[in-house]
Amino acid sequence: MKKSFVLLVIVAVFSMFIFGGCAGSSPESKKVVVAQQYGLGYAPIMVIQEKKLIEKYYEGAEVEWVQLGSGGAIREAMAAGTVDIGSMGVPPFLISWDKELGFRVISALCRMPLGLQTYHEEIETLGDITPDMKIALPSPGSIQHILLSMACEKQLGDPTALDDQIIAMTHPDGANALINKIEIDAHYTSPPYIFMELETEGIHQVLDAEEDCFEGPFTFLVTISTEKFKESNPELFTAVADALDEAIVWINENPDEASELLAEGMDMEKDEVYKQLTWTGVEFSKNPEGMLEFLDFMKESGYVAKTTDDVSELIWDNLDYKEAN
Amino acid sequence: MKEINPDYKNHSKIRLALSSKNLRELWIKIGFIVGVMIIWEVIARFGRVSSTLFPPISTIGIALWDNIITGEILEHLLYSLYLIFIGIGIGIVLTFILTVLYMIYKPFANILDIVISIMHPLPGIALLPIIMLIVGLGAKAIVIVIIQSVIWPVMVNSIAGFRSIPITQVELGRNIGMSELRLVCSVMIPNAFPHIFAGLKIAWSRSWRALIGAEMIFGATGLVGGLGWYIYKKRYFLEIPDVFAGLLVIVAIGIIVEEVVMKQIEKRTIVKWGVTV
Repeated sequence: MKKSFVLLVIVAVFSMFIFGGCAGSSPESKKVVVAQQYGLGYAPIMVIQEKKLIEKYYEGAEVEWVQLGSGGAIREAMAAGTVDIGSMGVPPFLISWDKELGFRVISALCRMPLGLQTYHEEIETLGDITPDMKIALPSPGSIQHILLSMACEKQLGDPTALDDQIIAMTHPDGANALINKIEIDAHYTSPPYIFMELETEGIHQVLDAEEDCFEGPFTFLVTISTEKFKESNPELFTAVADALDEAIVWINENPDEASELLAEGMDMEKDEVYKQLTWTGVEFSKNPEGMLEFLDFMKESGYVAKTTDDVSELIWDNLDYKEAN
Repeated sequence: MKEINPDYKNHSKIRLALSSKNLRELWIKIGFIVGVMIIWEVIARFGRVSSTLFPPISTIGIALWDNIITGEILEHLLYSLYLIFIGIGIGIVLTFILTVLYMIYKPFANILDIVISIMHPLPGIALLPIIMLIVGLGAKAIVIVIIQSVIWPVMVNSIAGFRSIPITQVELGRNIGMSELRLVCSVMIPNAFPHIFAGLKIAWSRSWRALIGAEMIFGATGLVGGLGWYIYKKRYFLEIPDVFAGLLVIVAIGIIVEEVVMKQIEKRTIVKWGVTV
C-alpha cells in the first residue's frame, strides 16, 4: 500500500508538470507565433510572411511561423496556447467561439466562389443524390459542410439530410478523386480546386455557395487571434492587424506583383495565379461579412449550442462588420 | 467420508488464500484507477490547461452517459462491431480453407509460405490507400483491411498448431479405429487449438486497431460510420468530452473482449480439453 501511494504521488507530480506548466507568451513578449498556411485564400498571410510586414509595424518583433496539418490542428494549437494567430473558415471559428476558447477575428481574408461539383450527369439538385453516393469535403464542421447543410435545408428540408454521406478528404485528394471518378460522387471545394474541377470535361456544378447555399456574399476565411495574445501585447496585436490590412490592400492594388510573389509559395505558374486571383467572386477584404447568419444557421441546425446578435463578441474592435445581403 | 474431509478443507483453505490475494490485487487496481481519476479531475478543474481541451473526468462521464441515452455512440459502436464481425468471420473461413490446402498440397504450401512472409508484417491500414483505389471508399475497403489483419496471424498459428500435434496421438486414434473426420475433430483440432486461439487473439487486437484507425484517417466508412468516425467528427466540432467518451468505449470493448469473451472461450475449450501450448 505504501508503494502504491508513492506511485500515486509520482504520477501526480509528473502530471502537474505536464498539464500545469503550459508555456505561453509572457506579458510584453515580442514574440508572435503565426500558423503558416498555403492556398489562394491565405494569400494575405503569405504576403505578410514574404514581405515581413509584422516586423515592419513592430520593431524587434520575433515572428515564428509554424506549419500544422489542418485547420482543426491550428485551432487546437491556439487553444493550447502554442499558436497566437491562425486562419480558418468562418464555421470552424464559430465552433471555437461556441466553446468559449477566447478567440476573435482580427481580420477577414477573402470572399471566394465555393461549390459542389459532380461527374454524374443526372444530378441536377441535391434530391438526385442517392443514399449510396459519397460527398467529399475537408472535414465535418468545415465551411463546406455548413454550406452543404444550408442547401440541404432549402432543397431537402433537413440540414443534416446528407451528413451520413460525407467523407473527409483534403482538397487535393478530393479533386483528384472527383476528376478520376473514383471513391466519391461529389466534392464540395474551394479555389483553386474548384477551378480545376470545373475546367474538367464531364464535371458540372450542383451548388454554387453564394447562389444556392448562403444566398448572398459571405466571408470565406478569417484570421483570428487569442485573447491572451491581444492582452499580453496590444501593440504587437495592432502590428499584426496593420500587417494584414496592408497585405490585403497590396494584393488588391497589385495583382500582378502579388501573383509573382504567391506563385512560388503555391508552387504554380505566375499566370495561373494571376488568373485565379482576378477570378469573378474572388475578393480580398479585411471586414467580415455574413458571420452572424452562419452562426444563426448553425444554432438552428444544432451544430453549435448558442448564438448572438452582437457581432462585437466575434470580432476585435479594430474591424467593421458588414451585414450580409 | 471423514478421511476425505480434511483434504477438502485444506483445498478450500488454499482457495481462500488465493482469493484474498486476488482481492488485494483487485483493490490495488481499483485504487489506482480511482487515484488517476481524482488527479485527472483536479488537473482539469484547477490546472492551467483549458477545460475545453482537457475536460474533467466527471464531464466525460456525463458526455458518455448522454451519448448512450441518445443512442448515438451505440449506433456507431454497433456499426464498428458489425464490420469487425463480418471481417473476422470471412477471415476465419478463408484461413480455414487456406490452412487445409496448405496441409494437403505441398506446392501450395511453398507458395503460401512466400505470401505469408510478405503479407504478415504489413499493417492492414498501410494497404488501405491501395484497397480504396480498387474497391472504393466504404465498408468494403474496411472489411478487406480487417480480413488482412485476421488471416495471416491465424494462419501462421494454425499451421504451427497442426505441426505440433504429437504423432503418437494421431496414430493411437487411427489404431482404435477413428474415422478421418473423427480424427480431425477429436484429436487434431483440440491439439492445435491453443495455437489457433493465440492467433485469434492477435487477429482481434489487430483488426480492432485497423478498424478504428481506418475510420479516423479516411473518414466515414458506411451509412453511419463507426467509432473512429464518431471520434473524428466530434474532434472537428470541438466536442472533446465526446472524444474521450469514444475512447472510453473503445477501451471498454477491448477489455470486455479480451477479459470476458476470450477468457470464456479459453475456459470452454483449452482448459476443458486440458491442452496447452
